Amino acid sequence: MIKITEVPEDSPYTIDECKIRGYADEVLIPETEEDIREAVRNCPSITISGRRTGMCGGSVPYGGTVLSLEKFDHILGVGKDERSFYVRVQPCVTVRQLNDFIRKKGYLSLPSLTEGANEELSADRDGYFYPVDPTELNGSLGGNIAANASGPRTFKYGPTRRWVRRVRVILSDGSVLDIKRGDIKATGRTIEIPFSDGMRMIELPTYEFNMNVKNVTGLYVEDDMDAVDLFVGSEGIFGVITEADLYLAPAHPLISNIVFLPNDGDSYSLSKDFRASGVVPEFLEFFDSGSLDLIRSSRKDDPKFTDMPDIPDTAGSALFFDLPMDGNLKDNYLRVKPLIERYGGSLEDSWCGYELKDRERFFAFRHSVPQTIFDYVARLKGSSAPKINKMGTDMSVPLDRLDEMMEFYDSTIRSYGLEYVIFGHIGHGHPHVEIILKDMEAFRKAKDAYRELARKAIELGGSPSAEHGIGKMKVEYVEMMYGSEGVDQIRSVKKAMDPENRFNAGNVFADGEVRM
Amino acid sequence: MKYVVFVKQVPDTTLIAVDENGNLIRAGVPSILDPYSEHALETAVSLKKEGDLIVAVTMGPDQAQSALRRCLEIGADEAYLLSDRAFAGADVHATARTLSAFVEKFAADASLIMFGKQAADGDTAQVPAEVAEMLGREQFCYCVSVNAEDDHFVTVQDYGDERRTCRAPMGSVVSVSEGDINRRLPSIARFIEASEAEIKRLDRIALGLGNFSVGMNGSRTKIVKSVNVRSERLGKITDGSDPVKAAAYLKELI
Ligand SMILES: Cc1cc2nc3c(=O)[nH]c(=O)nc-3n(C[C@H](O)[C@H](O)[C@H](O)COP(=O)(O)OP(=O)(O)OC[C@H]3O[C@@H](n4cnc5c(N)ncnc54)[C@H](O)[C@@H]3O)c2cc1C
Repeated sequence: MIKITEVPEDSPYTIDECKIRGYADEVLIPETEEDIREAVRNCPSITISGRRTGMCGGSVPYGGTVLSLEKFDHILGVGKDERSFYVRVQPCVTVRQLNDFIRKKGYLSLPSLTEGANEELSADRDGYFYPVDPTELNGSLGGNIAANASGPRTFKYGPTRRWVRRVRVILSDGSVLDIKRGDIKATGRTIEIPFSDGMRMIELPTYEFNMNVKNVTGLYVEDDMDAVDLFVGSEGIFGVITEADLYLAPAHPLISNIVFLPNDGDSYSLSKDFRASGVVPEFLEFFDSGSLDLIRSSRKDDPKFTDMPDIPDTAGSALFFDLPMDGNLKDNYLRVKPLIERYGGSLEDSWCGYELKDRERFFAFRHSVPQTIFDYVARLKGSSAPKINKMGTDMSVPLDRLDEMMEFYDSTIRSYGLEYVIFGHIGHGHPHVEIILKDMEAFRKAKDAYRELARKAIELGGSPSAEHGIGKMKVEYVEMMYGSEGVDQIRSVKKAMDPENRFNAGNVFADGEVRM
Repeated sequence: MKYVVFVKQVPDTTLIAVDENGNLIRAGVPSILDPYSEHALETAVSLKKEGDLIVAVTMGPDQAQSALRRCLEIGADEAYLLSDRAFAGADVHATARTLSAFVEKFAADASLIMFGKQAADGDTAQVPAEVAEMLGREQFCYCVSVNAEDDHFVTVQDYGDERRTCRAPMGSVVSVSEGDINRRLPSIARFIEASEAEIKRLDRIALGLGNFSVGMNGSRTKIVKSVNVRSERLGKITDGSDPVKAAAYLKELI
């Protein structure tokens, strides 16, 4: 185990992508599972650290030990069960690494966990893929599981939760819990988890977990739930995930498309018509004029900023969608054609691409919007506003309430005299709104605006955190959603699972000890 | 102007994995338009003006049609598939012979004959030069830029240690080694159009070639044995600011 006992103020281990800066007494980098267990037995306060691409300070420590899992970056094997093929990974394998491995069909270089699975997989003609596609591909799979990450394709395939077969977790007493789906189930809202001192009966929260929208606010619960689901999305407060099995889905060829429309707002309207047209895309993502301008201006400084052609000058907004490349493709195009034309667009003002390298360009283009904003905030932090962090929303509402929410975003943020850009998972009622922060004054206003937006999202039957999690930055939204009673119930699950509050203090609910 | 662009379909080499014995696993690897061919086509598209014509041509089996479709999507106006059982197993010479026959019979008036600098699978980089030789035309290989003037082209070739700018006469053969990182993407409209465009097929007879000029029969290369060779850079650098010391350092290394 590597130990870093002097943790400098600007250590990469004390910050994540929301740019909140914490501090730590030491950083431990375990090399074996035994190292992790030893750390858990010896360290009273541990912050579990993956690749630190999180956006709400989940892996930012406030004192104690950072346990960085960076050495656990191996893909361990492939197997098959009644549902599908699966890949066994260590927690710090990144999404990109897993995708690369699958695309290159590296299966034969790995042991088969069930007989012949690797041969069968590599012989399969159409291949398989891992359907969770967060736009940040450098996040770790452990982090993805801890945050129940999702991406554009969650529209069709659901979030990480749906693809986790098994987890192996080091619990707060240093014991190992290795469970796959079906091994341990709750009875109603009571679940029994084995620890070294015997079974612990855990009373789960009684609130309804909103499953009508994309949602990762608070602990996931449902009647008779599977114990695996207790760990998925728990943001590391119950233990260290040291291994997981992730299911794969059969792949089919896709074509990526971006359609440009002359006016801001029209892409949103088009996304609604799309739904009514009967054409089923893999996802619908949109860019408003502000996000297109962000990319344009970054490209002015660096023409290679995204390896895409120039965005047409006339484009005021854009819609991004993938379609299956099957016999219906042309039909589908012809069905959306009149919809696009209704808003002054055309099939000429568009890009499409199906070769893998081209499709990757589309996704990089999509990723460049939040990335530009992060870089911008990081620059402010490094110069005029050291206490600033990013203010992006991650709220979802049911589709039939999205109009109302979109109007509310606009009127509320404007009423604070702030500017914003909006882009992302429109097909899922979950666009990201990034408030453009120029200084600390704007940052303070944005915090108030954000609070109003979160309240509205909940009021409309949505969630204030759809995919990025709560971390330390958004704990107040858990209370907003479930009331203080709900938070107390989460606290008591934590108390039963981790009585000494060893793991990730300050995540999910406020912790008096953690002062940001 | 009439641009004839020869292209090739290759396995997507970025997706080829290695098994535990170090062998390439080619099975199931999708075929794509060779990236260097794409550079050549891109160059043609960027040169194209109103009234110009871009003709994409490949020699290959039926499935190579998808590479031609891609050319049509990117901006080719016409596509030819040179396909015949007898073409199978062609080496550089037999390939160049077949492609030259196409130029002689169907595109003798080409303003420029274009290739990628090499194909990502064969990597010989010999076909463009050999086609130029057979046709008796000037060759400009490894171009990083090509510009059109009224009655000639200006090419910049990059040989690694030197760059050469030349005036290339009409009808020359060029091979292109670099493309634009922001290379274009087809519009959906163009994609649909390309999917419906005709791909013209020409066989050995149509090209007026004899059985012993093409494919395996027309090939002069015999592969006796192939071995894996590895060349590794030592990664040692001297900046040369003190020439005497640098020379001594190099002597030491050699
Ligand atoms: C530009 C950008 C775009 C993004 N887009 C998306 C997106 O589309 N969808 C999305 O869902 N997220 C997105 N994110 C957020 C982020 O990438 C994800 O939350 C990701 O899951 C974090 O992984 P990580 O390894 O960086 O985790 P970290 O940031 O290191 O940790 C995140 C949380 O998980 C805990 N944790 C990490 N590993 C483990 C483990 N092995 N066991 C227990 N707990 C653990 C940490 O303690 C922390 O609470 C984006 C981030 C950026 C910067």
